[in-house]
Amino acid sequence: MVLARRTAVATAATALLAVPLGLPKFYLLLATEILIMGLFAMAFNLLLGYGGMVSFGHAAFYGVGAYTCGLLLKKADVPFAVSFLAAPVVAAAVALVFGLLCIRLTRIYFSMLTLAFSQIVWAIAFKWYSLTGGDNGLIGIPVPSALADPRALYLFTVAIVVLVGGLLWRLVNAPFGRTLLAVRENAERAEFVGIHVRRVQLAAFVISGGVSGLAGALFSLFSRGAFPDYAYWTKSAEVLLMTLLGGPYVFLGPALGAAILIALNSIVTSFTEYWPVVLGAVLLMLIYVFPGGVTRFFLVGPTAPARAPGEPR
Amino acid sequence: MKRLMVLVGFMLMVATVLGSAPAPAAAQEPIKIGVIYGLGGAAAPYTKPAVTGHEMAVEEINGKGGVLGRKLQLVVRDDQSKPDVGVREARDLILKEKVNFLTGIIHSGVALAVSEVAKEYKTILLVSIAKTAALTEDKGHRYAFRSTSNTLIEGRAAAILMAQQPFKRYAIAGPDYEYGHRMGEDFVTQLKKLRPDVQIVTEVWPKLGERDFTPHINALLQAKPDMVFSSIWGGDHIAFVKQAKPYGFFGKTQYLAIGQGDLDVVVPLGAEAPEGMWVSSNYTFYHPDSPANRDFVAKYKARTGDLPPSGAAFAYTSTYFLAEAIRKAKSTDTEKVVDALEGLTVETVHGPLTIRAYDHQSNKGQYFGRLKKAPEYPFLIIGDLQYIGGEKTMRTLDEVKALRGQK
Amino acid sequence: MIDLGILGDPAFVAVQCLNGLTQAMFLFLIASGLTLIFGVLGVLNFAHGSLYMLGAYLSYTIASLFVGRPSAFWVALVLGSLGVALAGGLIEAVFLRPVYRREELDQLLVTYALVLIIGDVVKFAWGPDNRSISRPAILAGSVLIGGRDFPTYNLVVIALGPLVAAALWLLLTRTQFGRLIRAAASDREMVGVVGADVSRLFTGVFVLGAWLGGLGGGLAAPVGAIYPGMDVEVIAESFIVVVVGGMGSLTGTLLGSIIIGQLNAFGILFFPRFALLFVYVLMVVVLVVRPWGLLGKPHTR
Repeated sequence: MVLARRTAVATAATALLAVPLGLPKFYLLLATEILIMGLFAMAFNLLLGYGGMVSFGHAAFYGVGAYTCGLLLKKADVPFAVSFLAAPVVAAAVALVFGLLCIRLTRIYFSMLTLAFSQIVWAIAFKWYSLTGGDNGLIGIPVPSALADPRALYLFTVAIVVLVGGLLWRLVNAPFGRTLLAVRENAERAEFVGIHVRRVQLAAFVISGGVSGLAGALFSLFSRGAFPDYAYWTKSAEVLLMTLLGGPYVFLGPALGAAILIALNSIVTSFTEYWPVVLGAVLLMLIYVFPGGVTRFFLVGPTAPARAPGEPR
Repeated sequence: MKRLMVLVGFMLMVATVLGSAPAPAAAQEPIKIGVIYGLGGAAAPYTKPAVTGHEMAVEEINGKGGVLGRKLQLVVRDDQSKPDVGVREARDLILKEKVNFLTGIIHSGVALAVSEVAKEYKTILLVSIAKTAALTEDKGHRYAFRSTSNTLIEGRAAAILMAQQPFKRYAIAGPDYEYGHRMGEDFVTQLKKLRPDVQIVTEVWPKLGERDFTPHINALLQAKPDMVFSSIWGGDHIAFVKQAKPYGFFGKTQYLAIGQGDLDVVVPLGAEAPEGMWVSSNYTFYHPDSPANRDFVAKYKARTGDLPPSGAAFAYTSTYFLAEAIRKAKSTDTEKVVDALEGLTVETVHGPLTIRAYDHQSNKGQYFGRLKKAPEYPFLIIGDLQYIGGEKTMRTLDEVKALRGQK
Repeated sequence: MIDLGILGDPAFVAVQCLNGLTQAMFLFLIASGLTLIFGVLGVLNFAHGSLYMLGAYLSYTIASLFVGRPSAFWVALVLGSLGVALAGGLIEAVFLRPVYRREELDQLLVTYALVLIIGDVVKFAWGPDNRSISRPAILAGSVLIGGRDFPTYNLVVIALGPLVAAALWLLLTRTQFGRLIRAAASDREMVGVVGADVSRLFTGVFVLGAWLGGLGGGLAAPVGAIYPGMDVEVIAESFIVVVVGGMGSLTGTLLGSIIIGQLNAFGILFFPRFALLFVYVLMVVVLVVRPWGLLGKPHTR
């Protein structure tokens, strides 16, 4: 059963991921963007869906990842592999520092502190002209020639996203994932049965931040640049919306949310500049029609409670 | 398992819907021009009229049979003033909409980011409003052009003007981002070259979108400057002026506001605009009193009922540059149009403007003067108006070469 | 480049203090509505900045109907803020009421959706242009303070802040409505038990909060530009004020406003290029040292 399931997943994933290669370049780029944001959303959801921690400042780690990779490539002439892998490491280190202070707080206070930290990261990126290029951004990041072709970059993205997505999947299904869920459901009880709640939360925070940084690095390759906006709170809102739209209680839900939001944006903005009002309407629909996200609606049915009591699928 | 299949099915469906790509363009199809602006927020007073400006130019050109027998067609996109969105929209325009050319852009960061896309896809980008000098300096390349002035041209022009005045004590004010700092630096560098005797007594850098300028106003007054050079713009400028007046600010110091003789701020300020304030302007409907400008004003008024703000003039000019270049190249082929744009002179609402062949920077200058009441308008206009052309202040070729690291 | 000498001039310092205080009172008027709504309804209203923007635009439109009359500003201020209160009532009844029993995140999402929708509606209805209205003629001038001009209008705003604070305090402590509000703030279930109509109470509080936001917008309109996008800065600043002062605490909001006003007024003298950072650093420090805010209650809801 396990083997059959794995084979099915692998087949489905391969089929799905091969599709864009046959599509015109524009859709290939769109698919690349969806995959990157999907990874970001899944990383974010490790905290939201599994850890029950609502971060308003995840853009900080995404931004740090993008700038780390971009700066090392552009200003330090560091080999690509090192630059790219440094991004999640630096992002995780930053997440460790922020996390130590943030996880002491709960609920809205946690959210507000993550927001404040990310705004400081944004302000630094915005102001430090000599290093980051300030509000003009870090432009013209030299992408290695092997990844210059959109197909190559797409395949590279697929490889990274599948690999890291798979690791995240294993993580949430490992004892760590169950512990994290137990903490989400009832931190006091978890503490009582001997779980070191803060350590678990901090670990989730750091991993989530690191993977977000990786997504940021991928995006800096994709857009050939890093910009302060990557660390701005609106980026945090974007990933939160993607996650909620797809559904935080299904592993791939956030990635699906990213796909829907990016595809919808691409379609709507070619007709009208009033994208925000469309997005607003979609959010209201999410609240009143699809509570728990699109995946919940399709996979469990609209009558299910908004919040799954047990383990997310 | 079943659930997984539903999910996969759904995603495949999305992929299929997206896969229905438009058919490739045939030879007699219109020439498509992609237009990118931040259409919301503080940029909107410039960019909404800009879209109208592009539309006016295109309709005029098409009314006369188009270019090379083909009509022009606009595809407008909103970059939300975010570079990553600008990059996405630019790629979308190039790859999906198959536009032949890109123009527009007000936000400097977006301009530089999209310029990279233009380089990658070998597509012409003619920037209509954004003023970061870098676009045509160290970040310049074969496919990036600008039909308007830049921060350096304007900062130096202001310095030339001010050097003739008796002011000695200068204060610098600007929004706290690249544009403000560059404008201030370019002004001060040139001014000190022309007048080594001046001194900078203080600087204030309110953030972009600041609502309360009173601490800055008080700090400026405390330094007792003769002249405040300011690049605060748009809604921020309106707020600054309204807040500064009751402090007696404009009686205690002179004030030069870069770009703030434009209608988008002069009209809402109405009679509250301080008489005698020094301003520069990107465009005025009353000068030059040329047939081209009169014609443009009449058409814009007929179309919208309003006088044309600067945004409309920026856009109208860039559209005509593109159309003329295509005509001259006798082709829409990018490489041929690049060659045609290099050194191209077009008769615009500002008079004849030329895009310099080497760095693709236009010699568009700025209008300077002091605000005065005009009985025929409910707002102030610029008196003692003088136009300082870009050719007087733009970088020399040697300077640009040095910036680009070339010999 | 830090030069403390500038503080040696008492008249300058006095005026700068008053400038900071003006800013503080604007912030308080806006943020008090936000904190009230959070305290009672438990909803962090992202759309509060949109209500502020709506207040400014409505004032502009109403004032332009009465242009030339000395009463134009006052009529616009009263009618405009009442219009926003009405809009607040509709928002509460239509969008928020169905989601009170849901997670906080859902309520937040509703208000965020409203930010997007109201932003586009304003842009569509009023167009992209900058708008501006004038101060009422009697307040357009200035008074001398230590030999320096200080705007009369700003003095009025400085006076209005404590006035509104006092009125709210009286409302909360001396009326039945206020007692219910405070009861609801500490225990929402309890109010239902004692028989009060919780639903009407919530609507009332949201209307009051929205009115305060609209009033802030109307008062700020004559000293700034009215433009689409003016909501963004405001909501960020009010959030910070509320977090620093203590979420749900009115006195905390007043204190938070005053601190941030003075921080901005004097911070720009010493770190003119880092104004962006002040408030976020303050926010971090407060949340780390005293997460519930300066005057908030330690227990979390």
